[in-house]
Amino acid sequence: MIHRRLPALGALALIGALALPALPTAALADDNTIVFGAALAATGRDAREGVLTKEGYDFWKDYINAHGGIKVGGKTYKVDIKYADDETNPQTAARLIEKFIAQDHVNFILGPYGSAASASAASVVERLKVPMVEGNGSAEKIFSQGFKYTFAVLSPARRYLEGIIELALHEKVKPKTVAVVSANDAFSIEVAQGASEYAAAHGLKVVYDNKYPATTTDVSGVVSAIKAANPDLILNGGHLQDALLLQKGFKEQNVNAKAFGYSVGPDTPDFRKTLGKDADYVYGGTQWSPTAKYKGAAGFITDSKVYAAEFEKKYGHVPDYHNAESSATCMAFQYAIQKAGSLDPQKVRDALASLDVLTFYGILKFDSRGINVYKPMAVNQIQKGELKTVWPTGVQNAKPMYPTPDWSKR
Amino acid sequence: MASTSTVKVLQKVGMGGITGNRYAIYVSCAVLAVLLVVPSLHNGYIENLMRGVLMFATLSLGWNLIGGYTGYVSFGNVVFFGVGATTSAVLWQHFQQQNILLAIVVAAFVAALMALVLGFPILRLKGHYFGIATLGIALATQEIIANIDWLGGGSVTSIRQVDFFSSYYYAMWAICALSLGATWFIARSKFGYALVAIRENEEAAAILGVDATKYKVFAWMISAMMAAAAGAVFAGANGSIDSPTAFAVDNNVFPIVMAILGGVGTVAGPLVGAFVLTAINETLWSRFPEIHTLFFGAVIVIVVLFLPRGILWLFAVRGGFRGFVNSLKAYRV
Amino acid sequence: MDLFFQILVNGILAGGIFAVVALGFSLVWGIMNIINLAHGSFLMLGAYVAYALFANYHVDPFLSIPVAFIVMFVFGYLVQKYIINFVVRAPILTTFLLTFGLSLLLINAALLVFHGDIKGIATSYSGANFSLGAVVVPWVKLWTLVAALVITALMQLFLTGTKTGRAIRATSMDIGAAQLSGVRVAHLYAIVFGLGSGLAGAAGVLVSLSYSLQPSMGEPFLIKAFVVCVLGGLGSVQGALVGGVLYGILEAFGSQYIGTGLQDAVALVVLLIVLIVRPTGIMGKATA
Repeated sequence: MIHRRLPALGALALIGALALPALPTAALADDNTIVFGAALAATGRDAREGVLTKEGYDFWKDYINAHGGIKVGGKTYKVDIKYADDETNPQTAARLIEKFIAQDHVNFILGPYGSAASASAASVVERLKVPMVEGNGSAEKIFSQGFKYTFAVLSPARRYLEGIIELALHEKVKPKTVAVVSANDAFSIEVAQGASEYAAAHGLKVVYDNKYPATTTDVSGVVSAIKAANPDLILNGGHLQDALLLQKGFKEQNVNAKAFGYSVGPDTPDFRKTLGKDADYVYGGTQWSPTAKYKGAAGFITDSKVYAAEFEKKYGHVPDYHNAESSATCMAFQYAIQKAGSLDPQKVRDALASLDVLTFYGILKFDSRGINVYKPMAVNQIQKGELKTVWPTGVQNAKPMYPTPDWSKR
Repeated sequence: MASTSTVKVLQKVGMGGITGNRYAIYVSCAVLAVLLVVPSLHNGYIENLMRGVLMFATLSLGWNLIGGYTGYVSFGNVVFFGVGATTSAVLWQHFQQQNILLAIVVAAFVAALMALVLGFPILRLKGHYFGIATLGIALATQEIIANIDWLGGGSVTSIRQVDFFSSYYYAMWAICALSLGATWFIARSKFGYALVAIRENEEAAAILGVDATKYKVFAWMISAMMAAAAGAVFAGANGSIDSPTAFAVDNNVFPIVMAILGGVGTVAGPLVGAFVLTAINETLWSRFPEIHTLFFGAVIVIVVLFLPRGILWLFAVRGGFRGFVNSLKAYRV
Repeated sequence: MDLFFQILVNGILAGGIFAVVALGFSLVWGIMNIINLAHGSFLMLGAYVAYALFANYHVDPFLSIPVAFIVMFVFGYLVQKYIINFVVRAPILTTFLLTFGLSLLLINAALLVFHGDIKGIATSYSGANFSLGAVVVPWVKLWTLVAALVITALMQLFLTGTKTGRAIRATSMDIGAAQLSGVRVAHLYAIVFGLGSGLAGAAGVLVSLSYSLQPSMGEPFLIKAFVVCVLGGLGSVQGALVGGVLYGILEAFGSQYIGTGLQDAVALVVLLIVLIVRPTGIMGKATA
């Protein structure tokens, strides 16, 4: 009788074994460590950006621990960061943050990558009253709800492309028309809106303004339409994959403009490697550049050049702005904790709200919504295969090569 | 509804509705009852995880009604989840309504209406073509919603959460319990027999007096309401929604995977599948943080090879281990 | 008017890739009733074959097409023979789930091996173009279309002109009769799946010329394959070609004249209309 039911019993045993709750991980929080939780994509669409963010966080952590730790009210703490993979899924990000707080008893939350995941995470920390600083979700929509526990160290999305327009307006051959095209997602839409409004306010005519699906594999139609509109400036709010498609498309269809600008792409080494010399002359809005000349407060590397050098020594590549803004995310906590003199979430939140400190990355200061509107953005340009900072004039290490020559003359 | 005599004929020719293993249903009910205490543990993670299980179980139950019982395999049921989530967002953004019950009712109504309108042309399609049509509807709807700013567009829309957060958990629990109960009730009713008759042989069923179109559309409407209700609650619980999250591929594929894993066309199969798959995923995730998705894929492959028709199917296998092996051989070439 | 013709050309050129992607998917589905959700990840592997050859030995991607085809053929053959064949007669949903698991496995294995960073193939001729009046035609896209046509023609020749090809078609019509006349179904199925996966690999090479490489790059193409093979008719070689080009044109015009953001929606709505009016696809047999 029994053996007839064997398969069924076997299956039940299997399910039982699998359904056993995962063994609780050893509690990290001892008395001498400040623990942060970070849900970052290790798989899925944003896996690459997840790695860049993690490098930025880890770089800060190792520096702080190597230099003794953080002093809080007479006691010195080491820092640790607990990571988990959110699979590029906001649903998972929210669940992981619940886990960090409920089960791992982390002290604070470092933000995930991307605007949608940051929005999910913001709801969770708001409810549980644990402060979160994020450096990788710049859509202002996240902050439209009056959240009190979420802070973003980066300049808002709408600022990304303003610098490129400003730069062009300071040149001899002034642009008169602009085409703006963006991916249809929270971040990219705000980038494009910001650029259109800025352009219109400065007397430029927006001759093309459109969105394409964020997962597109072919933008040749957009390229053709932009060509027909014949703009002086071509600006894109989007992500690396579509920036690559567009730049290739502009060459394939012989689309010439005085400047090509992208919100995401030119900064990453992948962009230059993939396009080779076709990446030259391209502008990119950037949150930070290694040539930034801010003199930071004590406690962490104070100088961008040193940050870039140390970072490259450790990870084998020059840091891009994702790395830097992620380190800055941690620094916001560092200074706020010191200022609060306590690890109490409420006190640290209040300290974050009134934070005003200069770092190598720029100023860290939040408006009433929790956005760092005080930090300006910079503009990079790829010149002969190298990334140069060309705007604003105060931080530039090269003059902009403007206007961009026609494809036939390169 | 098919007449009583029709049902008797159907049962006689072996086309009666099935509920699957009785004990599995009892166990499912017991598990559901236990899940009611989760919020009192005051552990946000477990509550979130279990809310996810309940959500996926509901989606899977919804899919099972049309894909499992009726045999119309939908590859796009996520569209109703997405529409439900969008409804929640619109209710808050434009009407300042954060009431969960209202969101559920409106979402279910919108989804049912959509299934009704689309059902008549689409459910005429057979087999694969129905599947592709539903996939097309899901993708097109997502893109259309992403292009209408009033519905949230491509951006993230926030939803103000209710003060008592566990409300979302209880709401999801209720929807899941209701879906399970509805499935059980349908599977034993004339309606259920008619659905299975359509699955086994639509022409024969029609000859026996089953109004196939009416039943199919009705089944799809119920299926749509389950998914939409889950979507409405999810959006509120998440606090914000954007179209890639509302129409996520995971929300489309996982419910199908769960139903298959548990047992297609059984009452408890989707629930069993949702629990087992989530348990596998969470275990792998915590033990192998770097490569859990890879292992997850491997586990699915192995499970399919040894349980091609789902876990509940094991209870139907006779003849012990040898019977089990023999049944596997039937699927080889 | 110039824009109109440019859009038309864009659409036709894009359609070639869609055709090859859909061809393999359609064969496997039409002949064995397997919906291969791993098709996109096979495409990705093919693209990485081309990338590896290009980055290490400077092999022109167009020359990599046969290599990627053979590598992926062998891979697909083994997958079918030692995995899928064990459950191939179970209901279609079983293989659906199996290939879903396979796709997760492959994408994440690729993530481990190649990492998540975006790679691209920059040939000396990438971006080169010529003008036909006001219409600009990129050489790479034109050659991609030509390659797609050649691949489709070869596939058609194989299925109609060789003994194995005829056996495959016979099996898809009546598996029982085919077995009786001595066809080794297990081997034949493995060949069909190998062909499907080889075609995915070849498509991957074509894709890598204009799209960048990343472990999850195949997913959007998988969805297009779904649509194209139904537009054209399941299991039909010419159908995949017609469906692919038609899809390319629809997408291009939809995005231009209805809404850029509605690129896919327009094509999908047309698909729905086609399905409702003619449920077996444009080139499909009149009876399902």
